[in-house]
Amino acid sequence: MLTIENLDCRYGQVIAVSGLSLEIAKGELVTLIGSNGAGKSTTLKAISGLLKPSAGRILFEGVDITGASPREILARGIAHCPEGRRVFPQMSVEENLEMGSFLRRDAAGIAADKARLYERFPILLERRTQAAGTLSGGEQQMLAISRALMSRPKLVLFDEPSLGLAPNIVERTFDIIRQIRSEGTTVALVEQNAYAALELSDRAYVLEQGHMTLSGPARGLLADPHVQSAYLGTSDAIPVN
Amino acid sequence: MRPGALDRDQRRFSLDQLLQHGLNAIILGGTYALLGIGLTLIFGIMKVVNFTHGEVYAFGAYVMFALVMPLGVNFFVALVLAMALGILLGAAIELLLLSRLRDADIDTTMLVMIGAWIAMQNTEQLAWTGVAHSIKNPFPPEPLVWGALSVSWNRLFVFAVASLLIAGTYYLVNWTKFGKALRATFQDRDTAALMGVRIDRVNTATFALGSGLAAAAGALLGPVFVVVPTMGDLAASKAFAIVILGGLGSVVGATVGGFILAFAEELGSGYISSGYRDAMGFVLIILILLVRPTGLFALKERIS
Repeated sequence: MLTIENLDCRYGQVIAVSGLSLEIAKGELVTLIGSNGAGKSTTLKAISGLLKPSAGRILFEGVDITGASPREILARGIAHCPEGRRVFPQMSVEENLEMGSFLRRDAAGIAADKARLYERFPILLERRTQAAGTLSGGEQQMLAISRALMSRPKLVLFDEPSLGLAPNIVERTFDIIRQIRSEGTTVALVEQNAYAALELSDRAYVLEQGHMTLSGPARGLLADPHVQSAYLGTSDAIPVN
Repeated sequence: MRPGALDRDQRRFSLDQLLQHGLNAIILGGTYALLGIGLTLIFGIMKVVNFTHGEVYAFGAYVMFALVMPLGVNFFVALVLAMALGILLGAAIELLLLSRLRDADIDTTMLVMIGAWIAMQNTEQLAWTGVAHSIKNPFPPEPLVWGALSVSWNRLFVFAVASLLIAGTYYLVNWTKFGKALRATFQDRDTAALMGVRIDRVNTATFALGSGLAAAAGALLGPVFVVVPTMGDLAASKAFAIVILGGLGSVVGATVGGFILAFAEELGSGYISSGYRDAMGFVLIILILLVRPTGLFALKERIS
């Protein structure tokens, strides 16, 4: 469904991603793990069009979307749920959801999707007219996820959905992502919480300093000694650097 | 005559005077609010310090002058045209200058805008000379009198149109899809882009809208005062004062700020010294900012 070939991304002179190739099949849940600054978020931004890659190609359903605008990419069916939730703080919960369906024209479908999400997250219904910035971190995460779903995406990119959330909310968030996948939506996940992410995923890619160093079925990576020492903290070995 | 009667008359006189000042302030505040809203929208969405705002205001007044006086166009038609041309001028400034400066640092953008300001002002002088012009208005010359209060028909008209434009702007910003895109862009540009908002178009539309409001203010006040090429300078500094007073990027703040400035000027010139009329507002603003440095309506945000 999504193919990335030899992707290079830079911020000025700084190379954030270099020669990255990866593949996500329809219906899969794929995780990118790696430490801070490994290039995970950059990769997602390149996919959703927020960042123009300096080289390489990104194909979605066979169409080259490299360097396309976020609007075009969203219209093709890729929603990006950004790091730090990024709800519109002074807009109401309802308006945030409506921003999620900004490109859609089918009023009836939008209303139905909104109703379904409210049913799924009653707290959002309760806070419907409240400014999103006054919501708790967990509530904002539910809103950010719902907002991404309002575009009826085929592929959702989640950037650090567990960041800064209480442990029970983290669990809830991962449950929701699992549900979204089980409803047929393809998911690409970027996480520092590698253990939880790998448990959830079909496959994973390990990024280190902009390069992909490992990839494979999530189960296999969970057992990999390097991954264990560097990202899972389960080995006795202390990771170097 | 008993001394008490005189007292009562004096009190009566000063109450009337106060009411008259208040009425003048409300009427002036409408146009100040227009100027402030235009500037605050542009700053809020684009983070551009718009030094051309005062010149677009002067442009509105000059278009009004050129259409009504030499060309003899109907006053009301001219007003609509002045606003429309203000919108076009704003769109042109955005497309020709600002859209190319999107990645430039704030100093560069400021310098370009200051350059545009100087160029526009000198163009006005070249086109219409430095001599002050007055614009004839079609309203009856005798004021509308109500008890001891009086107000000219022209000023009443200015206030009515300004109120309509302010209400229209509120509707646009709060209740339309464009307004939602505008607010989303203001609050989080990247995320708005992820929702499918075309940020470039929002920028152009915002600058055009803000400029249209400034041109409207100029076209409305041109016939009240006189039209001179430097008229934009004071208007711009007042607009900046209003925006800073209200809190950068706040439409409500700019509206309230416009009225506060008008009241300060009107009461200050009436009761303290009319020679310091234009200084009164700035003094008040300094006082308010000492207490609330972010302005009256600065947006609250949760930082985490």
